[in-house]
Amino acid sequence: MTDWTPLAPGSSEDPAERAARENQHQVLIDLLGAYADGELPPETTSQIDAHLVGCVRCRRELAVHRAMRRRLGFEPPVAAPPALRERIVAAIASTPLPAPSIDPRPARFAALRRPLVFIPLVSIIAAGALGTDLLVRQRTSPAAVAPLTESPTTIPLLQDVLADYRRVVAGDLPGRARDLDAVRSAVPFPIEPLRAPAVRLLAAWTTELGQEPAVVLAYRWDDRIVLQYVVSEQRFFQHPALRQAVAGGGLLAANDGTQGIVAWPTSSAGALLIADVPPEKLRALGAAALLAGKVARGAP
Amino acid sequence: MSDRHARFDALVLPHLDRLLAFAARRTNVRADAEDAVQEACGRAWLGLDELRDPTKVRAWLYRILRGVLSETEERTARRRQLVSITRLEEAHDELVSSDSDLVFDEVASRLTGEEVRAALGQLPDDFATVVELHDIDGFKYHEIADIVGVPIGTVMSRISRGRRLLAGAVLASRTAARESGFSLSQERHGGRRGGSGTTGGGGTR
Repeated sequence: MTDWTPLAPGSSEDPAERAARENQHQVLIDLLGAYADGELPPETTSQIDAHLVGCVRCRRELAVHRAMRRRLGFEPPVAAPPALRERIVAAIASTPLPAPSIDPRPARFAALRRPLVFIPLVSIIAAGALGTDLLVRQRTSPAAVAPLTESPTTIPLLQDVLADYRRVVAGDLPGRARDLDAVRSAVPFPIEPLRAPAVRLLAAWTTELGQEPAVVLAYRWDDRIVLQYVVSEQRFFQHPALRQAVAGGGLLAANDGTQGIVAWPTSSAGALLIADVPPEKLRALGAAALLAGKVARGAP
Repeated sequence: MSDRHARFDALVLPHLDRLLAFAARRTNVRADAEDAVQEACGRAWLGLDELRDPTKVRAWLYRILRGVLSETEERTARRRQLVSITRLEEAHDELVSSDSDLVFDEVASRLTGEEVRAALGQLPDDFATVVELHDIDGFKYHEIADIVGVPIGTVMSRISRGRRLLAGAVLASRTAARESGFSLSQERHGGRRGGSGTTGGGGTR
């Protein structure tokens, strides 16, 4: 903790020392918010107590923190209108229990969004029931799955993905999720991460599969790691077995040893999920992503 | 009503007002805020099993709502109209460097809700969010770190800087209001200085 105290006017001090003192003081200023909020440990609090005695600027700074906090504390909540509550309750009431761990996509509840004109509640509920029924039927009729009849190692793309997956999981993950924007800008095809409550993006990076660019997204799914590979549509549709498997608008499922794979085409790329689970377990994730992509594209 | 519905009603619905207020401060259109809250509630319903500790429901809901809002912002490419941070910091520095008696507390206490929202709206969202979550919604630092997904040290520095920027925004707005009042007064009085416009809007000292 700094012992910053203002110098008397006219005092001479080495510029470097002065700069160091200013930096230390800045660190202290950054702690004043937490000090005002009682979020600092006792020893740090005591040190700031002592500093405040001799520093007018910091006392003013502290007064600003307290004044702003006090005023913001009076901001009243916005009363949610009854119509919003009714829409939410109606949507929830007419939605069957979801399958565990899968978050379908943002558009799911759009069917019950605000009406353009006033509609009696009974109509909203009826419309909601109809809308969600359609959505639920989509949901409970997940994309068809085409099991691969041959070994995935006979398909170059799947072979590359399996090899890369095994290499990656044997070591440290090479990137961070915040690098996603950089990754997106590095490849010419769109990257759409999975979105599900139990799935969290941990890392993203670019790689090469068969000397062609690919993106890898690493997720934590409960307590396991799932990798999603995104490749160009040219690469994805290269092999006839892959083309055939997804031709009906569904998912390809395959496994090699303990690794399961599901794959599906996106708007202008191809995605593959791989993890140390049977492909049936990955199917739900892949189906949700496939459905989300179709909804986003307005595809049937 | 199923146990799940009852659990949802008991855990989620009591927070609608606060969620809506949080969303309303991040959207320009009230209906968009309502849509975001409805969407967040829909996701909360679908992910209710993920909530293992009911005492953390509020932070969990805010985290979901933040996700919805950021997706909406991405989709619509809507961005806040920010003013120069430098300008806000200068206004704040002037405030705390002044030798005059500080009555900022009085200024802050007289701010209208509209002025508070306008000032918050001038801050970069990273700063406004953490300040609001703490000062308006009453979250502790560790809860905010969880909601926002940043280390607690980042929360600490963002709150500190956020409040400084907020004070700067308040002062900058008041200065602008005084200046526009002065111009108006000048026009009305044929270029003569005078009227309440030169000193109106509440002083800071």
